This record gives sequence, structure tokens and C-alpha cells, in this order.
Amino acid sequence: MAGEPTVRNRYTWRTFSRELIVLLIAAVFCLPLYLLLVVALKPSNQLFTQPLQIPVPPRFGNFADAWAGSGDGSLGTAVISSIVITVISVALLIVFGSLCAYVLARRPGRLSNTLYILFLLGIIIPFQLSVIPLYVGLRALGLVGNYAGMIVLWVGVMMPLAVFLYTGFVRQLPRDYEEAARMDGAGTLRTFLRVVFPLLRPVTGTVAILTGMFIWNDFFASLIFLGGTDYETLPVAIYSFVGEYVTQWNLVFAAVVIALAPLVAFFIVAQRQMIRGFAGGIRG
Amino acid sequence: MASITLANVGKVYKGGNRAVTDLNLDIADGEFMVFVGPSGCGKTTALRMVAGLEDISEGTISIGERVVNEIDPGKRDIAMVFQNYALYPHLSIFENIAFPLRARRVPRAEVREKVERTARLLGLSEFLPRKPRTLSGGQRQRVAMGRAIVREPQAFLMDEPLSNLDAKLRVQMRSEISRLQEELGITTIYVTHDQVEAMTMGSRIAVMRKGVLQQQGHPQEVYERPANMFVAAFIGSPGMNFFRARYACVDDGHVLQLPGQSVRVPEDVVRQRPGLAAYRDRDLAVGVRPEHLTLGSGGGPAISASVVRSEMLGAERLVHVELPASAVVTDEVVEAAADVDATAVTALEEESGQRHVTLILRADPAARVEGGERVEVGVVAPRLHFFDLETGAAIGA
Amino acid sequence: MRQVPWLLAIPAIVLMLGLRFVPAIFSGGYAFTDWTGLTLSANPVGFANFVDIFTSDTTRNALLHTLLLAALLLVLSNVFGLGLALLLHRGLKSRNLLRAMFFLPFALSHLATGYVWQYIFSYTGPFNQFLGAVGLTSLQKTWLADPSWAIYTIVAVLVWQYTGLAMIIYLAGLEGISEELDDAVAVDGASRWLKFRRVTLPLLAPAVTIASTLTLIYGLGAFDQVIALTGGGPVDSTETLATLVWKNTFIYGHFGYGSALALLLATIVAFLSIIQMSILRWRESRL
Repeated sequence: MAGEPTVRNRYTWRTFSRELIVLLIAAVFCLPLYLLLVVALKPSNQLFTQPLQIPVPPRFGNFADAWAGSGDGSLGTAVISSIVITVISVALLIVFGSLCAYVLARRPGRLSNTLYILFLLGIIIPFQLSVIPLYVGLRALGLVGNYAGMIVLWVGVMMPLAVFLYTGFVRQLPRDYEEAARMDGAGTLRTFLRVVFPLLRPVTGTVAILTGMFIWNDFFASLIFLGGTDYETLPVAIYSFVGEYVTQWNLVFAAVVIALAPLVAFFIVAQRQMIRGFAGGIRG
Repeated sequence: MASITLANVGKVYKGGNRAVTDLNLDIADGEFMVFVGPSGCGKTTALRMVAGLEDISEGTISIGERVVNEIDPGKRDIAMVFQNYALYPHLSIFENIAFPLRARRVPRAEVREKVERTARLLGLSEFLPRKPRTLSGGQRQRVAMGRAIVREPQAFLMDEPLSNLDAKLRVQMRSEISRLQEELGITTIYVTHDQVEAMTMGSRIAVMRKGVLQQQGHPQEVYERPANMFVAAFIGSPGMNFFRARYACVDDGHVLQLPGQSVRVPEDVVRQRPGLAAYRDRDLAVGVRPEHLTLGSGGGPAISASVVRSEMLGAERLVHVELPASAVVTDEVVEAAADVDATAVTALEEESGQRHVTLILRADPAARVEGGERVEVGVVAPRLHFFDLETGAAIGA
Repeated sequence: MRQVPWLLAIPAIVLMLGLRFVPAIFSGGYAFTDWTGLTLSANPVGFANFVDIFTSDTTRNALLHTLLLAALLLVLSNVFGLGLALLLHRGLKSRNLLRAMFFLPFALSHLATGYVWQYIFSYTGPFNQFLGAVGLTSLQKTWLADPSWAIYTIVAVLVWQYTGLAMIIYLAGLEGISEELDDAVAVDGASRWLKFRRVTLPLLAPAVTIASTLTLIYGLGAFDQVIALTGGGPVDSTETLATLVWKNTFIYGHFGYGSALALLLATIVAFLSIIQMSILRWRESRL
């Protein structure tokens, strides 16, 4: 037997009732999400009747209608748009963010500290403050209304968060592995790629989830920079959807479910890592 | 001040994993009892059951006259010292020691008086306002003890408190803890995997293996009369030497037959071990401690062997000799060896392949031996131990 | 020993400065002009924009709404989040499922959240139906159309969405407390309340810092849900600084005025969050 378990494993009636109560609270908590699903399956004339029951027969046609989209374009293009922008932005954030954090964490000193504080401030600055000059500036560079511009925007805007999360974690890592790699003759980049980055998996998970979620769900920036173009992301598409189908909640919610699905799937996969990443960041 | 009684105590985890089986122990008031054994033997689990940190699956545990199976740890009037000290990092040393008193709503003035008195007893007075992270390992250990002492509980439970300290500190703290316990007279259960600690500190020791109590008694008794091969191998450093021999009856008495030689077993030794009679013409395991082997026969029974190596330890010399014989490689012996270190295990495994056994004997530092030299190794016959090869049990009375 | 080169950090630094700081500074500049989207010229007007801000009822109220929203979100989401984390922390079998369930609302886009709750709170919607079903018909309202209730309704939605985030942060913090410490507290005989007050909470200080900072910053800048739920109405009763910035800038085209509002918002956010972080970091350092 390797080690003797140390957790008190008393599962009394008290624990059971606690579990039951919490499950109940959770169920009520998720009720709106359940409602979301239910309404998405309802025919238009039953929107407000029998709120808790899944309609029989469920009208899957709503999803098709939602997908077909409003006048300017189907949800399909919006999904592709969202995926492209989110995935590429997150990937770049991970790459540049981790590298930057590596430098900041392994080169302590005044410059590093100043930069770290700058990054912290970056998180605090509300987006609204930068939005107008950003628009003007990016438009001048021809980066408004296309993928490239949006990606550049996101990578810059979310970078402070990524660097913040990564730096805390890297600071905690013992230098032994890197020193061993150095002695084996590895250069900085190779050391980072082969040794440090794999160790950062929990934080990478956290960064991916937090930034990915934020970018995927963003409305404000996407509306301003991509509104009205072929590259609209999902939230913007839904917004115009709502504009057109104002009280047709079933169609609107069907669209929302379509927007939510990929995120939930990604979530279930990466959930574990996020907790460990946070824990590392907190101690750091 | 109370006795502790464990009656038929067992622990089974969900999934069927059994950590402790049918443990019976009576610990008298004021006694210093040491649970000792290799990792995973169940000693910590047993301790935690006494503390109330683990549920008791079978049997009962009583502290004083009370059966405490269903009583919360905080209400059992026991105090515990943990392996990693478990000090509250955000509280000062004063508050750390005061914590159990505050939990019991002891009035301020009394808290102050008791904490200061305990701190003085442990030499911690100047550290009271500081935080744990500014203290050294040894000092933190003393704070953990202070937290336990300040409550004047009925019993102390200590879970390998010295294992995180360096060797010298450990020796120093060992005597401090012993002295303190004697002074305060509080019943103590001390868990360790270090048999030296067990031997030097305990008024009684309980050797455990795989959840089963192997033997309990005064350290000297366990040392001199081990109940089985595991206890014999586990207690004592360097460990007991084992080899396989055939016990035979010849014209003028009894001998142990080894490949190429016979070793006489004196009659008084045979008489004191009636159990040997059942092993006529059978193989058994012979055990003898390094301190009971001498360089040179001195007139008594002796084994011919050749010197392999000699280690100089300052106060004594350890001589390794080799003789043609079969090694005893059973689970017990391997497990006890594993507790020393991994090289001991590989050495054992190598030995079982060959037909040689290496014995270690203690010699005078001035003795001069050469590698390869043939020597007569004298055996202090009354100190021979015999064990059944299958059960491991001692053959004796 | 070769040092890690600064080169590797350059892309991140450049992007961050260029896309966060530089525009912010420019915006700070625009705040002192009368620039509108229509004209190409921007004439400096000193503090005129700010005077307008503080003399306008709408804006002053929006400021109050912003602070109210943020304060309520901060307190409620953290209290509930901590409570849930404590409930979920040890021994529950469905722990992972529960964790996911409470976090799910956070995954819903803020805009979609607004729409879902708009449906729920509509006069013929599920919430009023529920009230009717349990006999509280008298409490039914036009939640989002009632000027005195709308803002609290919005707070409820925000709390719903952010409690999960706070909970996750506190769970991570609780996991950082060693089990041996729990054992020590058990043996020392501390009551559950004493344990919480003198051991758990102090050791959670870093988590409190992170959770409160994030919820405060978000609360002050909440936009998507407000727009989706009420659009700032009814009668400006849910107008916040964030929504005002949007309206003035992109709907009315008053870039200068909008920038002034944004600058005000940014100043408030920076000010409050720095104060908050200082207080909390100070408490942490007593650890």
C-alpha cells in the first residue's frame, strides 16, 4: 500500500442531506438553462404555456430556422467566424502569453516588475475606454471588418489576463528542470518548448477556457468591429436575429443553444485543468 | 491521565482495502507506547482511529473508561502532533498554542498564563509573537508539541513527528520528547517507522506489519526474544543475519548442518528450546545478530567463512564475511530489508540466486582482516534464534 | 548562465501596449475635445465635457446605478460563491457535476443571458407564472418595465451569472488548505464557526482578493446584460456608465463626450479596484 489515505471518509446522514440540498439548489440554479432548451423546442404558439415541460412533439425545426438565419446571412457563417477567431486568438494568446510570462518570471528585476504591474493595470482598464481610438486606428490600418483585425484585437486585449495567469504559475515552478536542460545543451527556446511549456498545462487550460469563453461570447467588440459584415460572430448574429424575430423566443433560443453547444463541449473537456490552474495562480 | 485500550480494532476502507486487523492493545496510564513498522503497516491508521480522524470499522477503542468510537476528535480529550506539524500559518506562535484553549472558551487571563508557561517549558518564549514560517523545523516541531501540551489532555498522539528533521536534530529531539513525557506523565502513543526511535523512546513497543500486530512488549524483550522473523529482521541495526541450515542429531549432540561444515549447538541451548525437537532433520532459518558473532572462535561453536569487506565506523568495525549456505529470502525478510534501503533488497535478491550468504559481525576497531582471508566466526550460542521457514514463527519455548 | 532573452516577450508587450494602453491614452485625450463622428476636427474644450457629465441628471443617475450594481454584485456573488464552495468542498459524491452545474451560467454569453432572463421575467413569463402557482399573485410585476424594480432585477441576473465564477475561485482556494490542517483543527476541538472565522477565511485571503477584484471590475463595466434586458430603460432607470458610453458614442456620435464618460468610468474602476486590492493584499500579507 503506497500511502495511507488521510481523508475523513464519514458519509453520514448529514452528508447525504447536505448533498441533496445542494443538488436541489443546483437544479433550481440551472432552471433558466433548462428553460432555454425547452423554449428552443417549442412551437410559436406555446411560448408561455407549460413552461417546464418539454413540448411533445419537440419542434426541432426551430434549429433549422435559426440556422437559416435572418436576412443578412445564416448562423452557419457566424459559427465559422466565431470558431476561426476564437481558436486562432486563443492559440496566439497561449503562445505569446506564455513566452512573455516566462521572461517576466525568469528575469526578475525592476523592468520585470514594472511590466507586470502594467499588465495588471491592463486587466483593469475597461474596454470602453479604448474602443474609439482602437476603431479609428484599426480602420486606418485596414483591420476593421476582417478576421486579421479581430484576431489582432483580441490577442492584444486579452494578453494582460493571459500573462497574469501564466506568470504566477511560472514563478512557482522549480528551476531544476530548466537547469538540467541547459546542462544538456538546450537553447532557451528548446528549453521552453520541451521542458517548461508542458509543465504549464493546467494554466494553459485555464487561459484557454477563460479567454476562449470571453472571445466566443463577446458582443460589444464584435458588434463594433464586425457588425454588418460577412464575418459577424455568433453573438452579433443573434443580436440581429433578435432584432428581426423580436418576440419569437423559440427561434432566438434555438440560436442561443447553437451558440452555446461548442462551448459546453469544450468545457467538459478542459474543466479539470482550470481548477488546478487557478489554485496555482492563487498561491503564486 | 488515562489508559487507552484497543479491543479487536480493525479498519476496512470502501472497496475492501483492509488497513488494520484485530488489533488488541492495553496501554497503561502514563506509558509511552510506540507503534513501529514499515510504511503501510497500519500504524498511522491505528493512531488516527484513536484520534477520531478515521472511523473505526471493527472493535472498540477506550480512553480512560470511556468507549470513544462515536465521539468527535475534539471531545476525546486527546492532543496530536502531526508529521508536518500542521501549524496555522497565519497565526502567531502564541495564537497557535492558544488555539485549542480558545476553542474551549478558556478565559483570556488563563490562556495567557498557560501559553506562557508552556512556551517556557519548551524554550519558545522569545518566539511567541512570530509566525511559523520564520521558525526552523525543530522550532516548529516544538510549537506543535506546545499546542498539544497546553491542553493537559488525557493522551498524546504523535504521528512521526521527527521524520522531517535532519539526523542530529532528530537525536536531540528524541531525548527531549522522552524527558518531557516523563515529566508530564501523560499517556502517549508514538508512531514511527524508525526502529531506533522505537527502541530508545518507548517503554513498550508494538511492531506492526500489513495491519497485523506482530509483537508487543518492552523494547529489550522484543529485541532479545522476537516472535517471528519479521520482528527479528526489523528491529536492530545492522539487522539480524539469517541463513538456512539443517538441524540434525548426531552422536554427541545437535548440530546445524551447512554445506561443507557443521556447527555445534550446545546442549543447554537445545534444552531451552523444546520446540526444536520437532525440527529434527529438517531445514530451518537461523538468525544471529551481528553483535553476537565474534572474530575468532573463542573455544565455542564457530563458522568458517571468508572475509569480504570491512567497514570502519569509529567505535567499532563491521566485518562482512561470506560462507557457502542458502539465504533466507522470505517476504518478511525482504520487507524488513526494504525498510533499510533499496540496495539491501537487491543484495538479498542477488544472494538468493547464488549459494552464498553474507554475514555481518561487529568487531573491535583495532582488528585487522584482509579480504579473502579465511576466519573462524565465533557464535554466542545462547543468542541464536531459530525460525520456521514457512511460517516465520520463532522456534523456542 | 545564459539569460532568457527579452525578445520572446516583445510580441506580447507590443500587442498589449498597442491595443490596450495606447488607445486608452488617446481616449483620455479625446475626452477633452468636442469631437463628434460627423466632423473631422476635434477642438479642445477643456473640462466642458466633464461639466456636462456632472450637471446632467441622466449621467449622475447612471453613475449611481453603476455603483449600486457593482456593490450588490460584489457582495452577493462573493457571499453566495463562498457559501457554495464551502458546501461543495468535501465529501460530496457529485462534486464534479455540481461544480459544472454552478459554473454553467458563466459560460452563457452575456447577451444570451439577458435574452433568457428577459423571457423569464416577462409579464406572462415563467417567473410570474411561478409566483401565481404558489399563491403570491400579488407580487407579480412587470419586472423589467418597472422603474423601481428593473435595476434589482438586473442585479439578480448578474449575480446568477457570476456566483459560479466566485465559487470556482473559492473552491480552488479551499483546495489549497492542507488536509493536515483540517485534522489539527478537528483535534483542537474548534467549532465549525470558529474554524471558519479563524482558520478557513484568513487562509482564503488570496482567493477573496481575486474573486472580489474580478466581480468588482465586471460589475462596474457591465454592459451586455443591461442592453439585452432593458436597453437602459425604463425611463433611464437602468442606465449605467457603460451603456451611456455606448449610446453617446455609437448612437449619437458624440465621440468626445463619450470618451469623457469612458474616462470617468475607467478612473472609477481603477480607483476602486486599486483600493480594494490594496486592502486585500494587506490582509494577505498578515498571513
